[in-house]
Amino acid sequence: MTSYFVRRFLLILPTFIGVTILVFTLTRLVPGGPIERMLNEAALAGAEGSTTISAGIDGRGGSVLSDEQIEQLKRYYGFDKPVILSYFDWLGKVFTLDLGTSTRYTEPVWETIKSRLPISIFYGVATLILTYGVCIPLGIVKAIKHKTAFDNVSSALVFFGYAIPSYVVGIACLTLFAANLEWFPLSGFVSDDFDDLSTIGKALDILDHAALPLVAYLAGSFAVTTMLMKNSLMDNLAADYVRTAIAKGMAFRRAVFAHACRNSLIPLATSFGNTITLVITGSFLIEKIFNIDGFGLLGFESLVERDYPVVMGILVISSLLFLIGNILSDICVAFVDPRVKFGSGGSNQ
Amino acid sequence: MSVLNLNPQTIKQLKRFRSIKRGYWSAILLAVLLALCLVAELLVNSRALMVSYEGELYFPTYTAMNPGSTFGLEYAYETNYRELREKFEGEDEGNWVLMPPVPYNAFENDLRIGSYPPAAPSFEDQHYLGTDTTGRDIVARLVYGFRIAIAFSGLLLTFNYVAGIIIGCAMGYFGGAFDLLFQRVIEIWSNIPFLYVIMIVASVVVPSFLTLVIVMAALGWMQLTWNMRTSTYKEKGREYVSAAQALGAGNVRIIGSHILPNTIAVIVTFVPFSIASGITFLTALDYLGFGLPPPTPSWGELLSQGTNQLQAPWIVTSVVVAMVIVLLMVTYVGEAIREAFDPKQFTYYE
Repeated sequence: MTSYFVRRFLLILPTFIGVTILVFTLTRLVPGGPIERMLNEAALAGAEGSTTISAGIDGRGGSVLSDEQIEQLKRYYGFDKPVILSYFDWLGKVFTLDLGTSTRYTEPVWETIKSRLPISIFYGVATLILTYGVCIPLGIVKAIKHKTAFDNVSSALVFFGYAIPSYVVGIACLTLFAANLEWFPLSGFVSDDFDDLSTIGKALDILDHAALPLVAYLAGSFAVTTMLMKNSLMDNLAADYVRTAIAKGMAFRRAVFAHACRNSLIPLATSFGNTITLVITGSFLIEKIFNIDGFGLLGFESLVERDYPVVMGILVISSLLFLIGNILSDICVAFVDPRVKFGSGGSNQ
Repeated sequence: MSVLNLNPQTIKQLKRFRSIKRGYWSAILLAVLLALCLVAELLVNSRALMVSYEGELYFPTYTAMNPGSTFGLEYAYETNYRELREKFEGEDEGNWVLMPPVPYNAFENDLRIGSYPPAAPSFEDQHYLGTDTTGRDIVARLVYGFRIAIAFSGLLLTFNYVAGIIIGCAMGYFGGAFDLLFQRVIEIWSNIPFLYVIMIVASVVVPSFLTLVIVMAALGWMQLTWNMRTSTYKEKGREYVSAAQALGAGNVRIIGSHILPNTIAVIVTFVPFSIASGITFLTALDYLGFGLPPPTPSWGELLSQGTNQLQAPWIVTSVVVAMVIVLLMVTYVGEAIREAFDPKQFTYYE
């Protein structure tokens, strides 16, 4: 078991290098990188009043920047070296926790990312609590009241949430409740006058802004978690040990809560690690829809602006979290289910 | 049934599928929708279905373009059939134009004097769901966008299935070093942040239809591969495989004609859900602006227009309703197929 987890941790490194080298190479091969963008900006700034917009075309003569300056820029961004060398330069810096400098904000990538973290963590933790807080009780009730009116009605809702992706739910909520009915604000994390509000006012303001995004986030995991809980509880209720407990004369209610429930939580534990990942990385889509200044929106914006140091920085953090989240899931499973032995069959998912 | 020579097991599964009413009707409705989509040019098009001009009949839908001069107009570019219809109606000389139910295509900007797009739904203008921010008809964008999304999902599905079935079967059947190698590959591959990497790739190379399919298939083949590996592995231990081996059947024959038919449940069950996730994914990418390049009609692009133009609620409403209907139906079909192939009965006590 220990050797299994050691192996899993060791596997993080090759996976991490594989993912980053792939993306790093891609970002180097393309036109439209930071140098081209700077050249264009410089050309536009220099072209005011004159007509030398041809600067970028031949790169010489009309260009506002001299060859020397371009070389300097290239050296600055590490574009003067072959891809593989500058990759290892970059990787070396990552190991010393230096993610480079954002080409858009001209501040360290880590600072940019750090400033977005609190918002993403807020949404992540709230989603986590809501998901487990709603889905587990709902799953239990649905299992006990299988095939009753309550089960059927809530199944319809669950099925809806299962078929419709969360971003569509988000967009629908935004259009209906924020734009048309004007019950909730359209976007953002807090209001403009946030600093002037009282403590309670601040809390209400955050809640007001968070309500719709949280519905969308919840829609993403609601159906799967609820059904997982319901189905695994029903499997357990049909198992021999529950039959034995009831045959002994134990109350049904007690058989459910004392015996079946704990075992039914095991499948939920497998997805716990991935939820942790979501805590930090959020969702590109939902953050973009509600214009929440979190991690996902940062990733999206830096892609659009071709701010590759930030793109790579986010990739580093999200893939590391993803890898750790998967291992965390395994640890959770081993924790709630003492029977689980990893690594013996070699066929774990 | 006897013509198709189905085995009793398949007939039973088909019967079970038909007994699940909402799944069965969704399947029929989806099939009708798909068929209509194939001939979308006859239903949603700026070209006329039929033109009768001076005693001669023209069917311009699938032919080369007819210049305006064909119908006695002054210009040599493609005939504007909507104007032609109005002209003929005004002249009353026995010439007529039969337009499709929605007389717009997905690319033309129907700009009108005195109003700015987006225009609200209007039966008078035959923009039944209104127009988008550049004056294109939303029905047309929806229909052609749906056709592209379905084709996209279908192609993606084919790529994923070819890779998944071949690699998965080989992993389960041969086992050993090959299995171990691909287990590691899958482990590494599934740790890539899927959406983000696709976005990065799409921001780097402006994707065409085919490159987008290939990129997505390259990152999405693992799920089915893994399931195929597991079920092939299970089947391999059964007696009929040993029997076939004893009779001297080759590996390809054993996998192809013995194991594969027995794993069909896994393959079929996944189809509807793969289609749904293909549509969802393409729409999400288009919404973020990293999908198919404009002016390709797409649901995601409409969604992004709609969320930027919230004062024009008909844009968002149309797309959301269309997506909900299609995805619900696909999922109903998926549930019914799963139920038919793998009926699960619970017994419990009270």
